Amino acid sequence: MAEDKKPPLLSVQNLIIEFATENGVVRATDNISFDIFANETVGIVGESGCGKTVTGLSILGLIPSPPGRIVGGSITFMGRELVGLPEEEMRKIRGCHISMIFQEPMTALNPVFSIGNQMTDVLIRHHGLTRRQARDSAIEMLAKVGIPAPAKRIDEYPHQLSGGMRQRVMIAMALSCDPKLLIADEPTTALDVTTQAQVLEQISKLQAEFHMAVVLITHDLGVVAETCRRAIVMYCGRIVENASIEHLFASPRHPYAKGLLDSIPQIRSQRLEELPIIPGRVPDLLQLPPGCRFADRCPRADGLCSEQIPKLAPSGTHADRVACHHPYPAVQAGSAS
Amino acid sequence: MNTVAITTVRRESLWSKAFYKFSRDRTGMISLVFVLFYMLIAFGVTLGWLATDWSDVQGGKWEGMSTTYWFGTNMIGQDIFSRAIYSTKTAFEVGLVVALIATAVGAVIGAISGFFSGTWIDEVLLWLMGVLDSIPFYLFVAAIVFAMQESPYAMHVAMISTFWTGSSRLVRGEVIKLRGLEYVEAAHAIGVSELGIIFRHILPNTTHILLVQATITFVAAIKSEVILSFLGLGVKDGMSWGLMIAESSQEVMAGFFNNFLAASVLMFGLVMAFNMFSDALQDALDPRKVS
Amino acid sequence: MSGQDNTALLEVRELKKFFPVRGGLLQRVVTQVRAVDGVSFKIDKGLTLGLVGESGCGKSTLGRAILRLHEPTSGQILIDGQDIVGLPRSRMGEQRRRMQIIFQDPFASLSPRRTVAQIIREPLDVHGIGTAQERERRVIELLADVGMGAEIRDRYPHEFSGGQRQRIGIARALALEPDFIVADEPVSALDVSVQSQVLNLIAELKKKRGIAFLFISHDLAVIQHVSDEIGVMYLGQIVEHATVGDLYSAPKHPYTQALMSAIPVPDPTARRTRIVLEGDVPSPMNPPAGCLFHTRCPQAQDRCRTTVPAMLNVGSETNPHRVACHLQD
Repeated sequence: MAEDKKPPLLSVQNLIIEFATENGVVRATDNISFDIFANETVGIVGESGCGKTVTGLSILGLIPSPPGRIVGGSITFMGRELVGLPEEEMRKIRGCHISMIFQEPMTALNPVFSIGNQMTDVLIRHHGLTRRQARDSAIEMLAKVGIPAPAKRIDEYPHQLSGGMRQRVMIAMALSCDPKLLIADEPTTALDVTTQAQVLEQISKLQAEFHMAVVLITHDLGVVAETCRRAIVMYCGRIVENASIEHLFASPRHPYAKGLLDSIPQIRSQRLEELPIIPGRVPDLLQLPPGCRFADRCPRADGLCSEQIPKLAPSGTHADRVACHHPYPAVQAGSAS
Repeated sequence: MNTVAITTVRRESLWSKAFYKFSRDRTGMISLVFVLFYMLIAFGVTLGWLATDWSDVQGGKWEGMSTTYWFGTNMIGQDIFSRAIYSTKTAFEVGLVVALIATAVGAVIGAISGFFSGTWIDEVLLWLMGVLDSIPFYLFVAAIVFAMQESPYAMHVAMISTFWTGSSRLVRGEVIKLRGLEYVEAAHAIGVSELGIIFRHILPNTTHILLVQATITFVAAIKSEVILSFLGLGVKDGMSWGLMIAESSQEVMAGFFNNFLAASVLMFGLVMAFNMFSDALQDALDPRKVS
Repeated sequence: MSGQDNTALLEVRELKKFFPVRGGLLQRVVTQVRAVDGVSFKIDKGLTLGLVGESGCGKSTLGRAILRLHEPTSGQILIDGQDIVGLPRSRMGEQRRRMQIIFQDPFASLSPRRTVAQIIREPLDVHGIGTAQERERRVIELLADVGMGAEIRDRYPHEFSGGQRQRIGIARALALEPDFIVADEPVSALDVSVQSQVLNLIAELKKKRGIAFLFISHDLAVIQHVSDEIGVMYLGQIVEHATVGDLYSAPKHPYTQALMSAIPVPDPTARRTRIVLEGDVPSPMNPPAGCLFHTRCPQAQDRCRTTVPAMLNVGSETNPHRVACHLQD
C-alpha cells in the first residue's frame, strides 16, 4: 500500500506487559509489534485472555499498576514515546489525541450526573469553552452520533438510556475532542445484533468524517470483516497474523487464524453435520510451552514448532505478516485488491 | 468426542487460597499468634494448670510488684496476676459461647429471611430484628438478669438474643444476592427442596461472612462482658476483667493502680489482637479477591 | 416423529408471565412487565425448537416458566398431554425428572463450594436413584458423555475454563435422563472456538439420546446448527415460527429479516443491503398498540399501528410457516 512510505500514526514495538498474580508473573503481551496508520481502521482479534484488551489499555497508559507493568518495548504516537511518559503528559494525550470506548458503557458513565454534565465537563476542561458553547457543541456531537432529539436527551441520566444509546453517548464523548486515534474495546459486545449494526455503521461513518484511525478490539471476526481494513490476530499474548482483511479472510496463513475463521457461527445454506472446531484449549499463561503457543492444537505442527517460537515475519506480498513455521500458502487470486 | 485436556489446571480450593493470602499478611499473622497465646492461657486455666490460686488470700493488702506477686496484690491480699490470668478464661468462654451461638442463630434466621424475602416470613423476621435492635442493650440485660433470677447465664442469653441480628442482616443480604444465581435455579430445576437449597447451596457460600462476623461478635461479647461485670450484671461466680476493674475503682482513689492496669492491659491486648485478626481474615476471605 | 397419537412431548398454550411492578408509598402494583405474553408452541420428542430474540424479549423467562422456575401467570404447559401448571409440589417432582435446564453463565451456574462429583450426583441423590455405588459409577459415565475424564471428580468448578464448566452443567442436566432440556443461551458466554465444541456436543446428545430441546439464543447463526424449528420472539410474543429450512431461506416477518441482515458476515467481499432498524425495543411495561413491531418496522402501514396482526399460516398444512404480520395477507 502507498501509506507504507508515510510514518505510522502509532507504532508499537516489542511491547512486553507483565502482570503479577498470586501464582506468578504472567506475560499478558509478549513482544508484540504493529503499526497503525492515519485514517485506517484496524481490528485486533482474539479470544478472551489473548492480551488484546491489555494492548489497547497500554496505548493510553491505562495498565493498572500494580499488578501490571510494561517491562519492555516502546509505543510511539506521532513520533512521541508514550512508555514512561509522566501521568500529567499522558492525560493531555488521552484528552486530546487518543480516545477510548469500552464494552460496558454503563460502568464508564457516572450514574449521578446527567449526560450533558459529563460531556461538557471534558470540553470546558480541555478546550476552554464556556458553559454555553460547551453545551451547544455537546448537543451537536450527540446529533452526529445519531441520537434523536439531542437537545432533550442531553439532560437525561445514563440509566434513562438504552444500551445502544449509552454506547453512542460514550462515542460522542470520545470524539468531542477530535482525536486522531480511537480505541474501541468490544464496543458492541454488550449490545443486541440490531443495535450492534447501528453502532458499527455509526463508527464507520464517524471514522471517515473525523479523519481518525480506529483500533477495534473484538472477539468477533464478523465485525472485523465488516468494519476494518486490516486485522491483527492475537493468541496467548502474541500476534500470530497481521494482514489485510481481504487476504486474511480469503486465505488465512496462520492455522489459528484459519481455525478461528472456520469456527465462527454463521448462517449456512446447507447445515453442517458437525461444526468445525479448534481441538483442545488455550494453554495456561503461567505454563506456556517453549515453542509455538498454538503447537498443541495445530494440525500442521511438527517438532520444530514445539521447540522454537516462530517470529512475526513478512509473509510475501504487501504488508502482511505471519508468525508460523508452516503457514498455509497464500492464495494468489485473493491478492488482487 | 475427544477428552478435554485438563492437565494445565491448577488445584486449589477457595480455602487454601484464602489461607495462603492470610499467611502473607504480616499483621494478621502476628495478631493470630497473640490470639493463640491468649487461647493457650485460657485453655491452661480451664484444665487447672494455671492461676489455680486466684481466689486465695495470700499476701498483705496492696503489695507492690515482686517475684512472688508479679502484679502485686489487691485490697484483701489476692494475687492480681493470677486473677488477671484466670479472667482470660472467662473472657474466652463468654466470647466463644456468644459468638458461636449468635452467629449460628443469625445465619439460619438470616438465610430463611433472605430466601423468603418478599413474603410474610421475611416481614415477621425483619420486624423481630427491628424490635430487638431498638431495645437499649443494658436495659435489656438488666431485665433478663432479673427475669432469670440471677442465673450465671443471664448475660450470655442477653448477648445472644441481641447479637444475632447483625449476622442475620448480613446473611440475609448475601442470600438475596445468591438466591438469584443460576446454580440456585439449577437446584430448583433438579427438584431440591427449599430447605435443601438453603442449607446445601446457599449457607455454605456465606461462610466467609459468618467467619468474619463470628470474630467481630467475639470481640463485642468480651467487651460487653467487661462492662456488664463492672456494672454487676455480668459474671457472678468467678473472676473477670470487669470485676477486677470494678474492684479497683476504690483502689484507684487510694492511688493503687495495679489491679486496674492488669485487667485493662490484658483486655486491651486481646481485643486489639482479635480485631486485627478479624480484619486480616476479612481481607483473605474477600470473595472478590479469592474466587 | 414419535407415535401417531398426536400428543406432543411438550405443548405450551397461551402461556403468559407478567411481573408486577410496585411503586408508591404503599408498594402497590402499579403496572406489569409483560415478559411473556401469550406464547403457544409444540415440541415433539427428540426435536429442537430454537427460540431467538434480542435481550428483554422474554425468551429466558419463557424457558424458566416452562420449568416452573417462574410460576406462569396463566396458560397451560402440557407434558405428554398432562398440564403441569398448578401441579402440587409432590407431583411436580416426577415431572422435574423429565425436564432440565442448561444455563448461560458457566460461572454462576455451578455451586462454587461443591465438587464436580457432588454437583453431578445431586440430582441422583435428590430423586433417590440407585445405590451410592451406582451413583458414583453414573457420575463417571456422565463425565465421559460430555467428554471429560473421571479424574476431575473431586475438583471445584473455579478450577475449570468456561467451556469445561458448561460441560459439567450439561452432565448435571443429563443425570436424570430427561426427555426435554431448556438450553438458555448455553454458548453465548463462551469463546468462539469453544462455542463450536459445546454446540457439537449438544447436537450429538440430541441425536444419540433423542432429547428434545428448547434452545434459546440471541444469535440466529448459532441456533441454525442445532434447531429443527425456529421461533422468533419480540416483546414477549412469537412473531414467526417455521422450520429451519423455510425460516432461513425465506424469512417472512420484517423483524426476522432485519435480525438476519444484522448479523455480521465474516466475508469482506460480501456487500449486501442491510436493514438497519431505527430506535430501540419498546418497554414491555408499556407495549405499543397494534403490531408490537410497528415502531421500528421499515414497512409499517396504517393498520399496523392500530390492529394486532393474527398468526397466519403461510406454509402448507403439513409444513406450516406461521407469521404474525399484516403484510402477509
